Amino acid sequence: MSSGKKMWSATLLATAVLAVTAACGSDSGGESADGKVKVRFSYWGSDARQKMTEEAIKKFEAKNPNIDIEGEFSDFGSYYETLATKVAGNDAPDVITIEIRGLREYAERGALADLAGKVNATDIDAKVLATGAIDGKQYAIPTGVNAFSLVVNPDLVEKNGQKLPDDAKWTWEDYIDLASKITAESGGKVFGTQQSFNPGYLEIFAAQRGEKFYQGNKLGISPDTLKAWWSNMQTLIKTKGTPDAAKSVEIGAQSVDQSLLGTNTGAMGMWWSNQLGAINKASGQDVSLLRMPKAEGAATGGMFLQPAMLYTASSKSEHPAEAAKFIDFMINDPEAGEIILSDRGLPASSKVLAAVKEKLPETDIKTLDFIDEVRSELSDPPAAPPKGASGMEDILTRYSEEILFGRMTPDDAAQKFLTEANASIAG
Amino acid sequence: MADSVAVKPLEAVTEPPRGGGHRSTKRSRREARAAYLFLAPWFAGLLVITIGPILASLYLSFTDYSLLQEAEWVGFDNYVKMFTEDPRYINSLKVTTIYVVVSVPLQLAFALALALVLDRGLRGLAIYRSIFYLPSLLGGSVAIAILWRKVFGADGLVNALLGAFGIQGPGWVGHPDYALGTLIILHVWTFGAPMIIFLAGLRQIPSSYYEAAAVDGAGPLRQFKSITLPLLTPIIFFNLVLEIIKSFQSFTQSFIVSNGTGGPADSTLFYTLYLYLNGFRDYDMGYAAAMAWVLLLIIAGLTGVNFLASKYWVFYGDTK
Repeated sequence: MSSGKKMWSATLLATAVLAVTAACGSDSGGESADGKVKVRFSYWGSDARQKMTEEAIKKFEAKNPNIDIEGEFSDFGSYYETLATKVAGNDAPDVITIEIRGLREYAERGALADLAGKVNATDIDAKVLATGAIDGKQYAIPTGVNAFSLVVNPDLVEKNGQKLPDDAKWTWEDYIDLASKITAESGGKVFGTQQSFNPGYLEIFAAQRGEKFYQGNKLGISPDTLKAWWSNMQTLIKTKGTPDAAKSVEIGAQSVDQSLLGTNTGAMGMWWSNQLGAINKASGQDVSLLRMPKAEGAATGGMFLQPAMLYTASSKSEHPAEAAKFIDFMINDPEAGEIILSDRGLPASSKVLAAVKEKLPETDIKTLDFIDEVRSELSDPPAAPPKGASGMEDILTRYSEEILFGRMTPDDAAQKFLTEANASIAG
Repeated sequence: MADSVAVKPLEAVTEPPRGGGHRSTKRSRREARAAYLFLAPWFAGLLVITIGPILASLYLSFTDYSLLQEAEWVGFDNYVKMFTEDPRYINSLKVTTIYVVVSVPLQLAFALALALVLDRGLRGLAIYRSIFYLPSLLGGSVAIAILWRKVFGADGLVNALLGAFGIQGPGWVGHPDYALGTLIILHVWTFGAPMIIFLAGLRQIPSSYYEAAAVDGAGPLRQFKSITLPLLTPIIFFNLVLEIIKSFQSFTQSFIVSNGTGGPADSTLFYTLYLYLNGFRDYDMGYAAAMAWVLLLIIAGLTGVNFLASKYWVFYGDTK
């Protein structure tokens, strides 16, 4: 009989454990046991980012003792799948970090709240702020800005007998020419530059030809522009300004640490300006930013500022006021700025930027100076891309690879790219 | 407690079978109840975590579901689109099929060959067995996929070796003609699991067969063909079925080596990777669910064919 009793108690215990675990799983927001309002904040990134974010959260909680911020952190690779799952499961975090290419995905599906008037945005450049607005509603507040630029290692350029270009008026021909000369001079040890398939690059290239990447819900790029863009890539491979197609593709799939510039085997490359610090660190060299080359006779250089990340609030949040308060702190409070510095792009708020400027690392000062120098020439920041734009970089890369390996003619690839890209953003 | 446990099986054996079958004593009813109670958590898990999602995905495969919005019924649209309007889908099928057709036989041959060598009674067999099994533990891992990029990269190990012979190798992982090949090699390299199973199978073959064959003058090759291979067919069959299923579901290798794109130029776009991209990058969950069901049908179909075909070549010792 005693065995029967034991069995029952074991079963009860197991059930109790299950019940407790289940309770943990369904605990979504609301008030903590100690009467504090719980606000969940999701973001992605490195361990370093997590540490500084936790520090900023502590500061906020010290100022707002009735709010408990719960950071939900993951690496970039799995960020969007967890986020989408949470949102789909009606378990959305109250404050959500997002990239501009995914903004419409969430905003147009009703997942985000209008933050106009809830977060102070007076210190943010109106044009940059406008990128977070869709149909007149301010769904997102930019954390900081980046510019897609040309990164150069001046030392490697000069060591190989070349002069740094005058970037105020250099053309794509100058760029290709310089790249192939560097490779030739170094005897193939150093490549002039490396291929980029980044949509930011194409955006600039198209702007110089008077075209927009996105025209509403369609692509604004003409087949001729695409062909000219690919033709530059092909020329670079032919003149050995970049490695051959296979190696270019291989490097393209790797992080910036493994890039030619990062490993001191290349003199130039194109990246978002926030990569400057990483390249500097990986190469141990003093790298700097240049304006992107221009098309002959172009009226505009086509460069633009883009939000590095944006803060949004869930439309389903039970504590919209507290969520907005936290976003406001992260954007506008110099104390948060001092901790985060340029980790989320150069601070979008001019007040915060002025307050923390002294503390920024050298590469950021360099980037800041560069952006100030080119500011008057910049095009307006493009609006948030249409839904489905998250896959654009992959589509562009794939067709570029078809071109580089000679598996498609440029005419064919341009047509197919436009068809596929348009279909992917129409849905 | 120990006493009652030890006694129970005896009782069960000595109890005569009851006519009519369905009536049971108080005691066995109580035991059954306890058993179900213990099984309950597992049943709950099966229902909630396995069967529930499976049925949900079947439903979702007939919908347009973006994860962020309610699912919308679209009938067979997703299935039709796969085979009529989506060349990338067809390509992913092609890539996966090549991968399975080439890598599975290679891997099994490799595993069998090594098992034969190890079966010769080497000293330190356990150590060798562990060493050869190691890749199977690592093969699906992120670290190995990254290592693979280093080994087969333009400036990687393989090209350094080729360079020593004056051959300038291409960037294997970056070239659409070779990238899939490197993943096949990676798969073949993880031969450990089937090798262990083969080894166990070889141990089951009575040595008297070989002795008798040797007396009759059969050489090693003849012995292999007439004794080892026929007696091993059930094991080969088992490994074949298992590995085909596993390779159709390969994901990590391509995901890491191609940085999640299936590149270069879609040459490593595995079925599951394309499914993942549709579901989690393009938020097209309905389509992804439909893809998952077609994959299930493909695998089930192939396994069925495998079982049917096994009648003609698999030899079970006790039947003719």
